Amino acid sequence: MWKKEDSKPEGVSGAPASPINSSTSSSTAAANMPSPSGAPQGSSRTAACISQGIKIKGEVTGSEDLFVDGVVEGKLSLTTNSCLTIGPNGHVKADVLAREVIVRGKIEGKVTGRDRVQLGSTGEITGEVQTDRLAIEDGALLRGKVEAGRQTTKSAEIKASAATATGKAVDATALNSGTAAD
Amino acid sequence: MSFLHKLGLGMGSGTTRGVSLPIHANSRARTPGAPISAVGPARSPESPGSARVSNGLKEFLWNLDGLGRGSLLDLGPASQTTLNFFIERGFRVSSEDILRGWKAFLTEEERRLREDVSACETLDMTPTGRATRFLVENLKYSRASFDAVLLWDLLDYLEPMLVKQMVASLTELLRPGGVILAMFHSKKPEGFQRYRVADSHTLQVISTPVICPPQKVYQNREIQDLFTRFRTMKSFVGRDQLRESLFIK
Repeated sequence: MWKKEDSKPEGVSGAPASPINSSTSSSTAAANMPSPSGAPQGSSRTAACISQGIKIKGEVTGSEDLFVDGVVEGKLSLTTNSCLTIGPNGHVKADVLAREVIVRGKIEGKVTGRDRVQLGSTGEITGEVQTDRLAIEDGALLRGKVEAGRQTTKSAEIKASAATATGKAVDATALNSGTAAD
Repeated sequence: MSFLHKLGLGMGSGTTRGVSLPIHANSRARTPGAPISAVGPARSPESPGSARVSNGLKEFLWNLDGLGRGSLLDLGPASQTTLNFFIERGFRVSSEDILRGWKAFLTEEERRLREDVSACETLDMTPTGRATRFLVENLKYSRASFDAVLLWDLLDYLEPMLVKQMVASLTELLRPGGVILAMFHSKKPEGFQRYRVADSHTLQVISTPVICPPQKVYQNREIQDLFTRFRTMKSFVGRDQLRESLFIK
């Protein structure tokens, strides 16, 4: 009886889909979720998506992975372990902050990737880049100042955590724990 | 030293000739400890991703040695190896692909003229006007903000009027004692290459599709005239007819 229940494959029709929660979702559940086209492969979590044709003006914040294939103007910051991917059709006119930033579209603004910034062959960044590790593919376009290395990222993190602390106490705690892990 | 070495036409290890030309009579040419000709053979840049031993780069780095946290402007394509090379050495690096910017600018101008015929009358379509408009949108950095500039060979591919204005802009952007590494083809280049720093004396030469056709082959005197505000010019001519030049402000 127990074994029958345990061996039931996930995602079977009729079975309710597990809620997508960054703290509780398992990697297998996430792997079964459909991912938006062009979204990073191999990511263990499902990314929220701003699809092509959608335009957002204002401030976008969150603590989940985000895939942007539309247009975002304003400010875009993701806390904790979030990864931001700008798809090939994505156009972001904003200062961007995330743990990892993957750029296959366009960003105009300051890009802060706490761990890593990856600029794909179709990617374009116009603005300052601050990160710990920078990866650039051939054909990518980068126009602006680059600061890479531990020191740079830590100062960016301190600034970010200070800014978050004034907003939400919960988010600040999460960000601080991420900093300690580094 | 062999006879060919005395003539500056060394074979084997000496494939480049170092020519130091003080631009002003009172200029002080700094010379590194290492002999200029002590390098390996420079390979031809035809094959994609080939390596090229670069005396210019070696000298460029020697001039930046001990600078600490300097700032560098790379006007070539954004390349991870080049950026990492300088970032690891403590540089703050700014990158701007001028050739792609120039091409995009020309395409945009063409589109504008096609869509708005009256733009022909309002816009200054002379090379000077075009160069001025391009520089309004590009190379927007504050005065004396860089210690070094990687100019690569892009002057060969830009309109001569833009070259003049751009060199003037770069002179303003450099701090006193700042260095520019440029390259000039001694004859019209057949292919189109871009460069990356592989290590402290090697450049990776990457063959790529043509972004802009070559505009002019600069003679030595013309190069000196362009960089007249620099106190020292040093050139290294390779077998592949590529002249690496170093300009010190």
